[in-house]
Amino acid sequence: MRLVKLASVTKKITIAAVGAFLLVFLPMHMGLNLCIIRDDGGEWYRNVCHFMGTNWIVKIFELVLLACCLLHIVVGVLLTIENYMARPVRYQVPSRTKTHFGSKYMIWTGGLVFCFLVLHFINFYFVKYDLVEGVYTVKTEKLQMHIQDRAMDLQKSFDEGKIGQEELSEKMMGLQMEYLSFFQLMQTGQPAEKLSRDGQELVNLDRKSLEAFVGKDFKDYEPDFYTMCNNLFKDRTYSLIYILALIVLGIHLFHAVNSIFQTFGLNHRKYNGAIEMFAVIYAILIPVGFAVVPFYVMFVR
Amino acid sequence: MVTLNSKIPQGPLAEKWTRYKADQKLVNPANKRKLDVIVVGTGLAGASAAASLGALGFNVKIFCISDSPRRAHSIAAQGGINAAKNYPNDGDSIGRLFYDTIKGGDYRAREANVYRLAEVSSNIIDQCVAQGVPFARDYAGMLDNRSFGGAQVSRTFYAKGQTGQQLLLGAYSALSKEIKAGSVKMYHRKEMMDLVVVDGKARGIITRDLQTGKLERWFGHAVIVATGGYGNVYYLSTNAMNSNGSAAWQCYKRGACFANPCYVQIHPTCIPVHGDYQSKLTLMSESLRNDGRIWVPKKKEDAEAIRAGKLKPTDIAEQDRDYYLERRYPAFGNLVPRDIASRAAKERCDAGYGVGSGQAVYLDFKDAIERLGKDKVEARYGNLFQMYEKIVDQNPYQTPMMIYPAVHYTMGGLWVDYELQTTIEGLFAAGEANFSDHGANRLGASALMQGLADGYFVLPYTIQNYLSKEIYNAPIPTTVAEFDMAEQAVREKIQKLMSIKGEKSVDTFQKELGHIMWEYVGMGRTKEGLEKAIPMIQQLRKEFWENVRIVGEENTMNPELEKAIRLSDHLELAELIARDALQREESCGGHFREEHQTEEGEAKRDDEHFMFVGAWEYKGENQEPELHKEDLNYEFIKVQQRNYK
Amino acid sequence: MNLTLKIWRQENAKAKGRFETYKLENISPDCSFLEMLDILNEQLVNKLAHPVCFDNDCREGICGMCGLYINGRPHGPDDGVTTCQLHMRRFKDGDTIVIEPWRAKPFPIIKDLVVDRSAFDKIIQEGGYISVTTGGVPDGNAIPIPKKNADEAMDSAACIGCGACVAACKNASAMLFVSAKVSQLTLLPQGKPEAAKRVQAMVAKMDELGFGNCTNTYACEAECPKSIKRSNIARMNREFICAKVCSEE
Repeated sequence: MRLVKLASVTKKITIAAVGAFLLVFLPMHMGLNLCIIRDDGGEWYRNVCHFMGTNWIVKIFELVLLACCLLHIVVGVLLTIENYMARPVRYQVPSRTKTHFGSKYMIWTGGLVFCFLVLHFINFYFVKYDLVEGVYTVKTEKLQMHIQDRAMDLQKSFDEGKIGQEELSEKMMGLQMEYLSFFQLMQTGQPAEKLSRDGQELVNLDRKSLEAFVGKDFKDYEPDFYTMCNNLFKDRTYSLIYILALIVLGIHLFHAVNSIFQTFGLNHRKYNGAIEMFAVIYAILIPVGFAVVPFYVMFVR
Repeated sequence: MVTLNSKIPQGPLAEKWTRYKADQKLVNPANKRKLDVIVVGTGLAGASAAASLGALGFNVKIFCISDSPRRAHSIAAQGGINAAKNYPNDGDSIGRLFYDTIKGGDYRAREANVYRLAEVSSNIIDQCVAQGVPFARDYAGMLDNRSFGGAQVSRTFYAKGQTGQQLLLGAYSALSKEIKAGSVKMYHRKEMMDLVVVDGKARGIITRDLQTGKLERWFGHAVIVATGGYGNVYYLSTNAMNSNGSAAWQCYKRGACFANPCYVQIHPTCIPVHGDYQSKLTLMSESLRNDGRIWVPKKKEDAEAIRAGKLKPTDIAEQDRDYYLERRYPAFGNLVPRDIASRAAKERCDAGYGVGSGQAVYLDFKDAIERLGKDKVEARYGNLFQMYEKIVDQNPYQTPMMIYPAVHYTMGGLWVDYELQTTIEGLFAAGEANFSDHGANRLGASALMQGLADGYFVLPYTIQNYLSKEIYNAPIPTTVAEFDMAEQAVREKIQKLMSIKGEKSVDTFQKELGHIMWEYVGMGRTKEGLEKAIPMIQQLRKEFWENVRIVGEENTMNPELEKAIRLSDHLELAELIARDALQREESCGGHFREEHQTEEGEAKRDDEHFMFVGAWEYKGENQEPELHKEDLNYEFIKVQQRNYK
Repeated sequence: MNLTLKIWRQENAKAKGRFETYKLENISPDCSFLEMLDILNEQLVNKLAHPVCFDNDCREGICGMCGLYINGRPHGPDDGVTTCQLHMRRFKDGDTIVIEPWRAKPFPIIKDLVVDRSAFDKIIQEGGYISVTTGGVPDGNAIPIPKKNADEAMDSAACIGCGACVAACKNASAMLFVSAKVSQLTLLPQGKPEAAKRVQAMVAKMDELGFGNCTNTYACEAECPKSIKRSNIARMNREFICAKVCSEE
C-alpha cells in the first residue's frame, strides 16, 4: 500500500538527503554552543547569537532548515506507516535477528528528538520571535538614547501644545525615575556580571522589567540566550533531560550517518570501514560536544 | 503395437544435425501464433524449451509443480556443465566429448543424439554467458574450466559449486522475459495428472491444482514433458522431495514407450545415511574428487576400530590407507566414472572395510590442503565443506569427509527419437525425463548440458517439424470425450485413494518400496534378487491400495494425497525397473548384474545380445508390458570394453 | 530430545489461524528440522489428524522452497542456513519451539506454514533478465569479464529466493532480493544495456506488490541463508539514482 506515489527508493533517498543536510547543521550549532563555555561574560556567544539572529543569509538558511526538518519528519512517518502496513499480521515471537545498532528504533529516537526539539524551541527559538518570554539584553547607550528620545518627544509635544506643563513635568519625572532605577539596578549588581557586546555596555532584563523601564514600544533589545542557557542548565532536571536527549540523538545519528552512505550507494569495500568509523565518531562527538555546555555550567561555572 | 523409428538422419555423423536442420519443415511466424504448446516441468529442459519456443512465437503454457520455476531440482546440480569449447587448449573437441560420453555411457547410447549433444554444447555456454550466468573466470577475464569424472580434458564450466542453480536461473530469467512478453503463460503449483491423447496424438493434459485440488484441462497442439527423473522410487535419493516420475509414467500408460528404466545412476559422493528418519540424501559435488582422495583402512581391524569409535581416521598412518580407486584405476584414479566409483565403494564396504556406520568411505583433503594450502581448497570447495559440516557436524578441513553412493540420476526415461518425440505423436520428452543421451551411465556435468541442449537447441527445431503439420488443425475444445474420460479417470483414482482409509501412512509405503529397491534393484543386482523383488513390489502395491491412510480432503492443499498419487505410480514404475534389470542379462554402466562381471569385479557387457535400447510398451493393468528393442548401431565408434585403468 | 512445538495452523488463505501445541519425544539431535516435522506429521497421520503443511523440496539448501520463522528468526537460530539445513542439535532437550509462516502482505498464507511467494516471480518478470533470445549470441569469451566482477556477480546471483529477507525485515521489504538480481546483472557487461530500465521497473513492481520500504536495518543480510550482502542494496540505490537522474528511460 503506497500512501504517496513515489518509489520506495526515492522516498528513502529523500529522507537521507534531508538528513544529510541536518547533519551539516549540527556541528555548526554545536560550535555556537561551545562559545558559552568561554568565560568572557558571554561576549562571544552574544555576538554569535546576534549574527545568527540578524544576518539575512542565515535567516534564509533557517527557513530551509525548518523545511528540511519538516520533510524529514513527514517522510519518516510516512515510511513507518507504509512499513507497518506491509506486515498486517505480526509475528508471535519478537524478532531475534541481529540488526544494525539503533536502526530498528529510528522512528522512536526520531520522535524523542522531535519532542526535545519542541522543548528546545520553547526555551530558545520562540523567544527570538517574541512568542515566548525570555531574558533580554539592551545596550545601555541605546537605552539612554531611548529615554532621551522620549524626553525630547515630551518636550516637543509640550512645545506644540499637545500637553500641559503639569503633564510634562509629571512624565519627565517618571522618565527620570525610570532612568534612576535602571542605573540603580545596574549598580546593585543585577545581573552580577558586567555584560558587553561589541565593546558596548549591555544590560539584561526580563520582559517585565524591560516593559516597566522603557515601555512597550521599545524595540532595541535582543534575547539574551547566554543568560537563558546559564539559568536553564543550572536546573539539574533540565540538564538531565538535555543530556538524555543527546544520547537518543547519538543513537539516531549513528544509524543515520551509516544509512546516508548506504542509501546513496556510496559503498565501497575499501572505505566501508572508514564510513563506519566516521559514523561512530560523528555520533559520539556531536552529543558530547553539546553535553559539554550543561556540564560546564553545572559543575564549573 | 508400436514400432521404434529413431528417425536418425542419413549422412556422416558430423553432418547429421546440419542436414536435419536444412531439411526440416518450419512454421511461419503467423502460424506460430496459432499453435499451442504445453510444457510440463520448469527445470533446465522445460524452462529453456518454453523460453525458446515462446521467443519463436508459439503460444506456450508451462506448468510448474512448485511455487516458482526456480525450485526445480536442476538447481541442485553443483559441479558444472560440459562443453567442447577447448578453451584450455588441452585437446578437446566435439569428437572427444562425443566419444567420452558414449564411452562413459558404456556404449548404450545412440550415436547421432550424442554427437548432436556434443555439437551444441558450445552454444549452450555462449547462450548462458549472454544471459548473465556468472561462470567462474580467470584473471584474464576468460571462462575457467575444471576437470570432471570420465574425462582427460578440462571441459567443465562452473559457477562456484552452484552451476545448476545459475544455469536454471538463467533459463528461469529467459522464461520470465517471455512471461512478461505474454508469449508464455505460467501456471504454478499445478501437477500433471494425465496425458490426453486424441486420435493418436498428444493433445493436452489434465492437471491438479495443488492449492485447491481442482482438476483442470489444458489443450496443446504438442506436449513437452520435462519432468525429470524417477530416482525417488528409491525413496532415499539425492532428488528433491517433489521430484517424481509420475508424469512420465502417465505418458507411458497412454502409450509412450519407457526406455531403459534399469539404468539408474548411483552417485559415489553423497553424505552417508545417518538414521531411519532420514528423508533424503545430500550430494557432495563430484568435483570434490578432483582434489580429494578416496580411501578406506587397509586393515580390517582398523576399520572395525573406527566403526567402534576407538580410532579416528587421522590416526591411520599413510601406509595403512587403501586408496582403492588409485590402486585399481591408476590412469583415472579418483576421477573414474560414477558407476565405477560407486561400485568400488560398495565393494570395499561389503568386504568389511567401511567406516562410519560401515556404509561409508573417506574422502580426504589432507594432501590437497598440503599441496594447495587451505585458502585455495576453501576457494574451490568452501561452500561444499560448509554444507558437509552443517549436516554431519564435522570439520572436513581437519578430518576426512565420509561419503557413500546414493541414487542420483536416472538415465532411463521416455523413449524418444532423434526429434525427441516419444512413440505418441505430438508428445515430446526433454531432459532427464527422456531416456536421454547418456546410455547406461551419465558422466558428471553432462546432465545440465543435455537438459539445456534439448531445451534451447534441439526442441525448438525438431518440434517445428511436427507442428508444421498441425497448422491446419484448430485447437480442440477441452470438452471432447477424451478430456472428459481422462479427467474422470483421475477423479476416480483420487476418490479411490481417499476412500481407502487404511492403517499405514504414505511415507511408510514409500520407505518400504525404497528398501526393496535399494536392496534388490540397487547397485548390485542378481537374478534371484530381482525375481524376489517383483512379487514384493506387487504385494506392496496391493497392500497400498488396500491399506493406505490419507488424511485431509481432496479439495485443499494436501501433501499426503500428492505423495500418495505419486507413490501409486512409483509402485508400478518400480516393477518395470526390476523387470528391465532382469531382462538385461549383462552389466553395463549404472546397471550391474553380479552374475556378469570380470574376475576383477568390473562390469561385463554382452554386446552381442544386449546392444539395444530396451523400450517397454504398456499393455494394460496387470498385463505384462512388452519389450521393444531398438538396436544400437555403432557406425563411427569402435566399441570397446570400458577401461579406465 | 523432547520438544514442545507451537505451530501456526491455518486452513486456507481466508481462515483465521491459531497456534497449536504439540509434544514430540525422542528426537535425535542428528535429525534435520524438517525431518523432525516429518516425524510430527507421521504421528499426526497415525492419530488421523491433519498433518502440518510446509513447503520443502530439495532439502539441501538450494531450492529456496522451505522457510519457517522459528523462535523469532527466519530459518531458525543458525546463521547462513536454510530451514532444511537446520539440525536439531541446535536445540536443547525440553525446548519450546515456536514455528510461524513468513509474514508479509505480499506473501499471503496458502495453508498452515505455506505462503505464496509468486510476488518474487512477478518482480523478476519485470526485468530480472537480460533480453536475449535463444541463439545468435557471441562466443562466451568474446567479452572478458574481470574475475572480481564475475565473482561478485556470482555472490549476488547465489540468492535462492526463499524470502527470508522479507520475513526478517521489520518492514517486510524485498530490497535484498531485488538488489541481488539488479547487482548481478549490473556487474556483468551483458546486463549493462538494460540497467537503467531494469532497476526502475523492478523497484516499481516491488513497491506495487506491497513490500515495505528499506530502512537499512540489515536484518535481511543477517538472516540470508546465502549471505547476500547489503552492499547489493547500496549498489541498487546507486543504480536507481543514476537511472532517475541520467537516463531518459
